[in-house]
Amino acid sequence: MAALELLSAEGFRPDGRRPAELRKLRARMGVFAQPDGSAYIEQGNTKALAVVYGPHEMRGPRSKALPDRALVNCQYSMATFSTGERKRRPHGDRKSSEMSLHLKQTFEAAILTELFPRSQIDIYVQILQADGGNYCACVNAATLAVIDAGIPLRDYVCASSAGLVEDAALADLSYLEEAAGGPQAALALLPTSGQMALLQLDSRLHEDRLGAVLEAAGGACRAVHAVLDRVVREHVRELTALLGD
Amino acid sequence: MAAARRYCVPGERLCSAAEAAAGSGTYTRRGAVCAALAGCLRRGGGAGGVPQVAVLRDAEAQLLPDVGAVVTCRVCSINSRFAKVHILYVGSTPLRSAFRGTIRREDIRATEKDKVEVYKSFRPGDIVLAKVISLGDAQSNYLLSTAENELGVVVARSEAGVQMVPISWCEMQCPQTHTKDFRKVARVQPQFLQT
Repeated sequence: MAALELLSAEGFRPDGRRPAELRKLRARMGVFAQPDGSAYIEQGNTKALAVVYGPHEMRGPRSKALPDRALVNCQYSMATFSTGERKRRPHGDRKSSEMSLHLKQTFEAAILTELFPRSQIDIYVQILQADGGNYCACVNAATLAVIDAGIPLRDYVCASSAGLVEDAALADLSYLEEAAGGPQAALALLPTSGQMALLQLDSRLHEDRLGAVLEAAGGACRAVHAVLDRVVREHVRELTALLGD
Repeated sequence: MAAARRYCVPGERLCSAAEAAAGSGTYTRRGAVCAALAGCLRRGGGAGGVPQVAVLRDAEAQLLPDVGAVVTCRVCSINSRFAKVHILYVGSTPLRSAFRGTIRREDIRATEKDKVEVYKSFRPGDIVLAKVISLGDAQSNYLLSTAENELGVVVARSEAGVQMVPISWCEMQCPQTHTKDFRKVARVQPQFLQT
């Protein structure tokens, strides 16, 4: 049996996409009534749910409160049924802690925390189905949830992954492409200003190729921004129409 | 029908900083005013006649008590040194989750601070109007003060469970049993009274 090619001779990936093409992106805001903000996102087969509470008074040790800013508290967890084999520890393992820390770093850059001194903002993200691009789906879902909660943001945070296969840069990797072991980068971008909130690179990559991979990731982030923008505008329009005036 | 309104999203550039000041829901970056919320754009004259641009959301965003704000709180417990309260309203906006605050003994009254007895000023269950004097430090909650004529107890129940009527700035009387209780009573401004 021939090995699965990541990029066929005609330039198609295993799921039939072109190298720079993204997976189908669907998103909904305000899926839950109880939290301050919530959002659900589907990127291809990856499904992520994000929920935001805040800003509210510090829970837990008050000594951790920052006197001039809000504390952003993120938790990343994967449902036990999200991967091929049942996941033993949904959260608390090293990978989840690392992801939570990355999410916290990303959102501290985007949220205007100086407006809420000595308070706390909680962002909880849950992966319901993992098919590659977990971190990116989380960031996109959390952005929508933070906008839904009415917390002031500097800009959207759009994330996408990119990899390299035989000199061709691929955007938005699926699980198959991630598992193949080539170099992959995850980029979280603030699209309007072009500033990067987080850039993570796995495996080794020659610096001559870095430009191509970053370009692919940047282009994908801007495409994600266009989709999220449309979702947010529709949601705002719906809300104002429902409330009258 | 309302005029065509403009919706904006976070990060969208609204105008230059020279044309208008940044109102609520916006921030300035590199000489331009950008939106920070997803909502409706509202242009208006701000304080001092300077045009201001603000982004409004229909749902109430969580408000935080700020220094100098008058808040409505409920007393949960008292001590010989302070009273612990739950902050319920900031101005006239209800808070989604109650914040905790403290009124120290020396902040209850403006005059004769050392002769104050907390038991004769507040009781658990009273609704109090207070002003935020500090956001607190690493150990404490919000610090509040009632050291003004307009601040203090507005609603209190007697031991019989009936709402008491204020007689003076330091006494309230129960209309049913006619017993007098000591409280630090607020002199509510006439425009806030509902007749």
